Amino acid sequence: MSRKNTYREDEVLETPFELKHLLRAGEYIKRQKKGMIIAFLLSAVSGVMALFTPKITQQALDVAIPDSNVKLLIRLAFILILTNAVSIIFATIRSRMMVDVSNRIILDIRRDLFSHLQKLSFKYFDDRPHGKILIRVVNYVNSVSDILSNGLISVILETLNLIFIVVFMFLTDVKLAIVILFGVPVLAAFLFWIKNKQRVAWQQVSNKNSNLNAYLQENITGTRITQIFAREEENSNTFAELSDRCRKTWMKAVSYNNLVWPGIDNIAVAIRACIFVFGLVVFGHGNTSLGVILAMSSYASRFWQPIMNLGNIFNSFLNNMAYLERIFETMDAEILVDDAEDAKELPPIKGEVVFENVDFAYEKGKDVLKNISFKVNPGESVALVGPTGAGKSTIVNLVSRFYNVDEGRVLIDGNDISKVTLKSLRSQMGIMLQDSFIFSGTIEDNIRYGKLDATEEEIVKASKTVCADEFINRFPDAYKTEVKERGSILSQGQKQLVSFARTLISDPAILVLDEATSSIDVQTEKALQQGLNAMLKGRTSFIIAHRLSTIRNCDKIMYIDDGGIAECGNHDELMAKKGLYYKLYTSQLEE
Amino acid sequence: MEKKTKLQWLRSNLDGNGWLYILSLFGVAVYSIMQLTVPFVSREIVDVFLTSDDAAANMANRRDYFFFLIFAMVGLTLLRTTIVYLSAMGCEKVSQGALYKIRTYLFNKIEHQDMNFFNTYRTGDLMTRLTGDLDAIRHMIAWVLKSCIESIFLVGATSIYFFIMDWRLALAILALAPVMLWIIILFKNKVKLRHRDLREKFANLNTDAQENISGNRVVKAFAREDYEIEKFDKANVEYSTYSKKTAMTWLEYFPYVQIVAELMPIVLLVFGGILIINKQMTPGEFVAFSGLCWAIANPMRNMGGIVNEFQRFNAAAAKVMEIYYSEPKIVDKENAIELKERVQGKIEFKNVSFKYEDGKLPVLNDVSFTVNPGETVAIMGETGCGKTSLINLIPRFYEPTSGEVLIDGINVSDIKLHDLRCSIGLASQDVLLYSDSIDGNIAYGNLRLSLEEVMKYAKYSQAAEFIQKMPERYDTIIGERGVGLSGGQKQRISLARALAVAPPILILDDTTSAVDMETEKEIQHALKSLDFECTKLIIAQRISTTKACDKILVLKDGRIVEEGSHDELVAKGGYYCSLVKLQTGEEVVA
Repeated sequence: MSRKNTYREDEVLETPFELKHLLRAGEYIKRQKKGMIIAFLLSAVSGVMALFTPKITQQALDVAIPDSNVKLLIRLAFILILTNAVSIIFATIRSRMMVDVSNRIILDIRRDLFSHLQKLSFKYFDDRPHGKILIRVVNYVNSVSDILSNGLISVILETLNLIFIVVFMFLTDVKLAIVILFGVPVLAAFLFWIKNKQRVAWQQVSNKNSNLNAYLQENITGTRITQIFAREEENSNTFAELSDRCRKTWMKAVSYNNLVWPGIDNIAVAIRACIFVFGLVVFGHGNTSLGVILAMSSYASRFWQPIMNLGNIFNSFLNNMAYLERIFETMDAEILVDDAEDAKELPPIKGEVVFENVDFAYEKGKDVLKNISFKVNPGESVALVGPTGAGKSTIVNLVSRFYNVDEGRVLIDGNDISKVTLKSLRSQMGIMLQDSFIFSGTIEDNIRYGKLDATEEEIVKASKTVCADEFINRFPDAYKTEVKERGSILSQGQKQLVSFARTLISDPAILVLDEATSSIDVQTEKALQQGLNAMLKGRTSFIIAHRLSTIRNCDKIMYIDDGGIAECGNHDELMAKKGLYYKLYTSQLEE
Repeated sequence: MEKKTKLQWLRSNLDGNGWLYILSLFGVAVYSIMQLTVPFVSREIVDVFLTSDDAAANMANRRDYFFFLIFAMVGLTLLRTTIVYLSAMGCEKVSQGALYKIRTYLFNKIEHQDMNFFNTYRTGDLMTRLTGDLDAIRHMIAWVLKSCIESIFLVGATSIYFFIMDWRLALAILALAPVMLWIIILFKNKVKLRHRDLREKFANLNTDAQENISGNRVVKAFAREDYEIEKFDKANVEYSTYSKKTAMTWLEYFPYVQIVAELMPIVLLVFGGILIINKQMTPGEFVAFSGLCWAIANPMRNMGGIVNEFQRFNAAAAKVMEIYYSEPKIVDKENAIELKERVQGKIEFKNVSFKYEDGKLPVLNDVSFTVNPGETVAIMGETGCGKTSLINLIPRFYEPTSGEVLIDGINVSDIKLHDLRCSIGLASQDVLLYSDSIDGNIAYGNLRLSLEEVMKYAKYSQAAEFIQKMPERYDTIIGERGVGLSGGQKQRISLARALAVAPPILILDDTTSAVDMETEKEIQHALKSLDFECTKLIIAQRISTTKACDKILVLKDGRIVEEGSHDELVAKGGYYCSLVKLQTGEEVVA
């Protein structure tokens, strides 16, 4: 079993550091090819314009000043202002484009990540704290944007810059150029050493942050539980411990980061010193001309600038690589339930549901359903009863294809549901789950979730059918009442009624009610029953309930026990049989 | 606690690291000034051993001085970069210390907040404050202030050096500084609003993503993936638009900043050139000036970035401080009573009325009743009649608008919250389990519980059987909110969790609604034979649960309309009686 993850454990990164992450990031960059190329050209132009500055300055120093030609001096100054202005304008346009490009890249990555999340099955969300998923979608994507956009351009520009400088150095003086280049292997060794340290350290940081986030989110949602168990102190201690781990891993990671610049700086100055020593002493004083030494030491200082910049980019690249890996890992999470390649649209459902020798297990070797077969005719209502955990919810989950069957087939109107598109299947079904999740927004918004183009009349009608209209109207804002996060202003029973209306309004061909009325009081449920009966008419329905009053009127009752159908028939038949159902029914009656 | 300004607040959270911070910033100042040493030494080398007329002679005679300068250059750099490293690490340590302190303080604060707080702040919003916003604060300490000092000292030292060399030229160059400052102040004011908006959009993005992830089951049930993607896309695009706007704001000012920065060497060239022509300055001095022009221009350029970060900090700190200084309304009173011994478990409601702060209608209206120690009392009533609100008053999740709630004759608002809540075991309607092992979930309220005891409570709540069937039994990790378990299984774990604190008062809020009939019977049976004394208050829908209770309260529209034992109420023939008939299948008669 792939063990579920908690806030205590670091997530094991299954994909090792590979070039493919980079290539994949490249895909996103490629989409912005046009912007990137223009920005690159603008940078190049702006860079070339900036190169004029030393030439013009030299002209001023060599000609205008010795000749005491103030006029020329001022004219040159104006040319300088002009070239600078052009350079700045180009640079500004480039930056504006890059802001746009980097925002597009974030937008794309986040969009893809989120879209992929929508396709992932329950299992993915059940297996890990939600906070860990959230931090990837929100925080990590932001972190990687800059390096993906500006990073690439800077790398190209700085590399080109570097090549130019090296060429110029060799043109000026081969011997000294070699001296300067001696610094390169030293630098490479240094960067290589620190790179490995850094990558591991930053992965740790992202792990610890993720743990902290997960714990934080669970505790914010569960504060009431914390308070009722008076566990504030313990939780604060746990949180402090998690924070402390974040702090420690962070300190370790930045301790490497902060070494990069000083390291490069030292190497740069040492090389500069070498130029003086070699140029003035080793190669003999006077053998190397003054101009050459000055030029070489100026090149040397320029030589390290792009390397320092590259080091800096490299630095933030490594920090963000850990995040990028996490993002791609999520994007690579396997979609367990997906449309088959040749999936067809499911035609309008008539309502025949057939299970053919279905086996199913959530985990290998732990069968939940064993060789289940049954047939439900169009329009029939089927009640599933039996002990908790017997597999009732599993059966209805298979009808909606929330999971794939291991063996056998599930057919709707003769169509194998694994061969039709999920959308065409689920949009024709109305599924009310045990957990009646309510979104923040108004009551109306929540009901409309079932049918996005529903009119107000339709919403009121649906609410009336499920007896929700009355309590909704008691709120001052009625249907426009904001229910807050998770519908916190509603009682549990009210949430179920709203979620009932939401299902009803979607006008499903097959209705699945999984403990849909457990928190609704008996009186309301009775009233609801009338609406429900009208609703059930002509629709195939699966009902899981413990209240026998809900069950009794169903066309078919299946008693599920231990992954199989123990009894099947209508109420009267099963009562006559005096088996498990009889026992269940009478046990409630005898009260 | 009196309100402080953002920087005062920040200082108060340096957590004993104040001196380390001052030391680190002092280091920053030192190395900023030291940045001038390498150019100075190289100039000396060039002047003495290269450009001067007797350079060759100097090289021959003053070789020691040459090597001294070379070593000085390397040594000073080594020293400087060591200081750079140490002060950077110092700043990081201080910032992490402050981050730790503020973060744990905020967490603690949130843990003690009352329900009103959680109705105001959404989870995604709080998450933003404790992650992104705190990071902006960390960044302020670790980088923004550091860079600020760096710039100020580099500019300061260079200016002094310039003035010493030639005050006229220095003045000409520095005349541009006020212009730069003015541009940056304009930018500062404009970007402030941008950051506030951007932060808001970020919180929205966070909330949207969070809600989608939590509600993933409903999304799938309605096949609303496309709708969700579209909805999220809106938040995503909006955030992106604002983040673009914020970045563009800087780019509106950037060209001017850049122009002013580039004007510095030009002014130097013209003004210096004229000075040279007039023989008021040597070419050597001019080279020294131009060699250090960056030391003025670069920090000025960086000011934009610093100001930007400063405003980000401002926006974030405002949000964080809001939580930092928020006070829950429900807190221990002064001289709150400590419950030293286990309470007897008598619960009294005396003329209690209650309404939610933002609600117009009263939820409870003049409710009075008494539950004696050891009694079991059931509360029934229609959906939304106030049952849950009523029991929420006992652990003081809310406070009554009027009237009193008493435990053992003491008003609950006079008791220490911790002691009060430790005396109450509550299994709420909306089961919330943690992504932790089953063992960890049951022992949530009592960490010292042994596995045997955990198993005992699991047996009481009829959870032992299905837990035994799981592959890793009590070590099985259950997902967030217990997803992966059926509703009935979740409820039973939540019940075991409430029992595990062996509370003198046990409150069950419809805890067995999703449990099947037979199991429920077993649970009721087990509840009667618990190995500790307790008063039980049970919200239930089923007659099978309420039948054996000592007393049944029927609530309707916030009032108690029926009160008595099962037999009494059946005889009375009211609401309860009709429920009995309904549930035992005699609705034909009713």
